[in-house]
Amino acid sequence: MGDSVTSVARRERTTDVDVDFALIGHQESWRAAADVLAVLRGPQHTPLPDDEIKDILPWIPPRAVCHVEIGSIGGTKARGLYIDSFIPPDRLEAAYVHENIARVRGAAAYAIKAGAKIVSLGGFSSILIEGNFDQLPERHDTVFTTGNTLTVGFIVQGIKKMCALEDRNLRRSTLLIVGATGDVGSGCARCLAPFVGRVLLSARNVERLRRLAAELEAHGVQVEIAIDLQRFSAEADLVICAASLASPSLLLGRITPHAIVCDAGYPKNLSPGAEMPDAKVFFGGLGQITGGMTFVPDFCGILNRHPFPDVVHGCLLEGMALALEARFEPFSQGRGFITPERVEEIEAIAARHGIYLAPFYNADDQWKTDLNARRNGREDECMGEGPSRTGFVDGWEDSGVASAGTVDPGERDR
Amino acid sequence: MEPVIGVSSQGIECTSLSCSAPIWQDILAQAVTGELLAAMNYTSLSEICDDPAEVADALEHAAGERGHAATFAAEGRKIGVEVANNVDAKHWKRLREAFLRCITERDFIGCLIVQEIMLESFAVASYARVGKVAPGGLGETFARIAAEEEEHVDHALAILRAERALDVQRFDDKVHRLHLEVMTTLAKMLAKECKDGHCEVCHGNCVKPSLFEVSLSAAELRGASLQQYLKTLDMLGLPGEVTLGWVTQLPV
Repeated sequence: MGDSVTSVARRERTTDVDVDFALIGHQESWRAAADVLAVLRGPQHTPLPDDEIKDILPWIPPRAVCHVEIGSIGGTKARGLYIDSFIPPDRLEAAYVHENIARVRGAAAYAIKAGAKIVSLGGFSSILIEGNFDQLPERHDTVFTTGNTLTVGFIVQGIKKMCALEDRNLRRSTLLIVGATGDVGSGCARCLAPFVGRVLLSARNVERLRRLAAELEAHGVQVEIAIDLQRFSAEADLVICAASLASPSLLLGRITPHAIVCDAGYPKNLSPGAEMPDAKVFFGGLGQITGGMTFVPDFCGILNRHPFPDVVHGCLLEGMALALEARFEPFSQGRGFITPERVEEIEAIAARHGIYLAPFYNADDQWKTDLNARRNGREDECMGEGPSRTGFVDGWEDSGVASAGTVDPGERDR
Repeated sequence: MEPVIGVSSQGIECTSLSCSAPIWQDILAQAVTGELLAAMNYTSLSEICDDPAEVADALEHAAGERGHAATFAAEGRKIGVEVANNVDAKHWKRLREAFLRCITERDFIGCLIVQEIMLESFAVASYARVGKVAPGGLGETFARIAAEEEEHVDHALAILRAERALDVQRFDDKVHRLHLEVMTTLAKMLAKECKDGHCEVCHGNCVKPSLFEVSLSAAELRGASLQQYLKTLDMLGLPGEVTLGWVTQLPV
């Protein structure tokens, strides 16, 4: 029952000796939270009933849930901790902001106490702390990064890759960014605006929208802004959803048939009720560690709930990549500082250690095919089963691309 | 200690004592029982202390806990109820037996872990929650005694940290063993429903389903208590990921 004392001591020594990185996160659904608690409870105990989970989780103080070890294709390894802030999945709204900031601060304090050299802020953690880094506890030798630069990198790579798979011409595309004034949204705008025909920016704050539009227009980009998303959704054929939504509630309305839609939110932006039968929807901002990743205890597939192995959100991967690079610096901080040059820099660091764009998938597991698994060489490790929608898979195969999104390192070099 | 993360009750004060007196009667009965048990534990502890200063300290604590019990009983009389107690009630009896096993083994550190880390976490957190919602003097009394109990914990933490530094593995092993024994019983006490029958402290039916009438809930008291326990273990230096596993494995 529980952990043996030997393992307690061993882990403590590990913590004392080296914690290269810490990842601060939270669960985006009660199902995910239940799975985490089930692992902690162990197979010898019956899983907690749902009502008990909702009663217990809000009281758990921020703390490490497991140890994480990652490998670089160059042979180096980095060790870290996953620290959960235990923000209840249904309390991400503004009404709970002070409580949630306290939780993230608590998680940050835990990371500092553990001696983490670099800390990545996952999901709402970065949104809560963004622009308020002075609110973090005294840091000693620990640095924090929001991880947003690598998230932007993977979103942009995903859009470009999907356009290639779908034989779309970026230059003739109209790009809509939902949540455009956020750190991720504005970073995507800066990176993609030079490559598309027209940019539509949507966000709640019109003043920030105007500032971003002016910045892009200064570089000769055709930009329009709107608070009313529905005005734009019928005009865009590329959509990036990067809004900070407490739950998947975004409805894009009259979306262009065959539009490419990247949902890069955590929690996801798109409502399960969003009807976009002909759109190509994929979850963006995700990367895959090809040098290996292990959890102790084994949270594989629980903390990284993706249908492919070793897939992680870009924001967390940024800290991991920097740890493998031994570059312990606050690479991403604040809002609105993500530039194409910085994205290129972090992508290069990630690629050096075998961290690439993740295979494409969406809520329907649309792209989880045998071909994808074989491409990754890890067929037996794929989690779960999901039906493929042959229509899209056919289209992708017709495009002549051998992989459903796993980036060929050779292609990167080009 | 006030939980850093207070998430449930917003502290809606019950203004009518007459309607809720039977509920406070049972809450006070649990508190008086807990205080009397603590007094018995400290008296027992004094019997295995070698240092006269430690003996005096334990006896002073015992007197303090008896004083708390008397104060809670007096609060009951103020609202017109007679507050019972039953240190032989099944859960409390088991907690006492766990403590007495440490006494039998002359395990001073084990005694401190059971009383100061486990039982006091429960007392500090639950009294603080009750203190927020109980009306007038009753609430003030719970809040004041919660603060006093917290001072005990601070004192014990210094001793326990020093002990842990001598042999981390042995200390953590002891905490885990006592956790399985004591916290399992406490978790059953704190469960949302008393599935094992009457607790033998409430004067009538189980008070838990009625707690909402005074802006409390069994789930909230359990959550606050386990949160306090985890934080106290953090302060001792036990790895948070390990103690989290321990707590999630407790019965619900």
